[in-house]
Amino acid sequence: MFCIVRNFLPVLLLLLAVFANVTSVQAASIVPDLSTISDSDIRNSAIAFVSTSTTPGLSGAVLDVNTDNQDSKQWRSSLGFSAEFTIRKHIFNGYWGLAIVGGSLENMFSVISDTGDQVKLDVTRDVVGVRGSLGLSFPINQHFKLRPFLSLGVSNLRTVTIIDGLTLTDPSGNPSTLTTLDTRADMASTTGTVDAIYSRWFNDNRLELMAGYNLNYTDSISGDDSVLNTNAWNQTAMIKVRYSGKTNLVTDGRLWRWNVYVDHTKFLSFDKASLGYTGLFEIGTGIEWHMNIKPLNWFGWQSVGINFGVITSRNVEGYNFGLTAR
Amino acid sequence: MNMRIILFISSSLLLGSCVQAPIFKDADHALITSNYPIISINGVGIEDTYKLDLDTGENTLVIVYHTYSKDYHCTFTWTAEAATAYEVTDQENRYPLTLYRWIRKNSLWAVRLNPIDPLACSIVSRE
Repeated sequence: MFCIVRNFLPVLLLLLAVFANVTSVQAASIVPDLSTISDSDIRNSAIAFVSTSTTPGLSGAVLDVNTDNQDSKQWRSSLGFSAEFTIRKHIFNGYWGLAIVGGSLENMFSVISDTGDQVKLDVTRDVVGVRGSLGLSFPINQHFKLRPFLSLGVSNLRTVTIIDGLTLTDPSGNPSTLTTLDTRADMASTTGTVDAIYSRWFNDNRLELMAGYNLNYTDSISGDDSVLNTNAWNQTAMIKVRYSGKTNLVTDGRLWRWNVYVDHTKFLSFDKASLGYTGLFEIGTGIEWHMNIKPLNWFGWQSVGINFGVITSRNVEGYNFGLTAR
Repeated sequence: MNMRIILFISSSLLLGSCVQAPIFKDADHALITSNYPIISINGVGIEDTYKLDLDTGENTLVIVYHTYSKDYHCTFTWTAEAATAYEVTDQENRYPLTLYRWIRKNSLWAVRLNPIDPLACSIVSRE
């Protein structure tokens, strides 16, 4: 078993490396006189936002971030499904997933320009994209399995920046202290993921522990802002604990089950300046109806449900309320 | 042009994947499909198979769930009804495998109902 995993990982890394040699970095900010914000800051912030919105394994979230020098609101959401499928005559199963992902960020902060003026910036980013995943699931025993998979995603990032307090020349040639910049970037991301999942039953209750690691490569191309002609690697680690049990509710002959969960997500590659946080902690509860259908007679769709979670971290408060499909 | 090709491929995949009604040997038989190999029926060992016609009445099957460290030989005993389809799969339940009554709901999906746990799953270590 471990030989197979060991042989599979270099293939994953090789595939990631193939996507890694596309775009060269060009640094030329479209906003002069703001050297306190480097091109690197802009890139890191954009990549961090896209990654925290589109990385596999992240659930929806609405976040308020307050730090000493910035105040931002972020949400992310995804509509998708993933499932394992049996590959007969092999011990391993297949794994696939498809998702539409989206997110938005409004970030307000002040800086001092090179000319000594106080400048207020209101940056709004919106991203929408699609993601497909394909991989394998290796059951080590009844309780424990490893699931490596590769995800490919494309997304479009729109950034609207309102700059207040810095004299710039508008397109008509007149100087203005209130300027709006509207830029777009197309992003392609490749993510290699390894999930380790342990589960055990205690009578009618089930405990599930999951640890996940993502290695993500993002390539960004922008015709509007050369700073966003860039690429970046980043890593995410996740730990999830979920405990579920059956209820007395039955609909159409099938059970409802309650669950409580705790998640911790650590964005290993981002510094705090990018989004105001590098990790999130979530605790929540939900209920699921085990409808147990088999679409196209191909894969099992066990349940649909709703969940509510509270998200917290240093400088972050938020929540997660949404639908689940397992 | 490209859109036509995509639509053609999507339609072909969808139509090819439609849920078909089960075909029974005759009105007095049941049918079972399994995602894992069936190795024994009513105490008689058979070559690994994934689909079987069953006599109605009580049947006992042994089905193997393979993992990289152990094999689980799960024994199911239940009363099979005539013209009824059954399916055995892994669903992250208490036992490695679960037996369901399989019902075609429409051309897009089937439903797994009335789960039955195995009587026991004996563990065999892999060498």
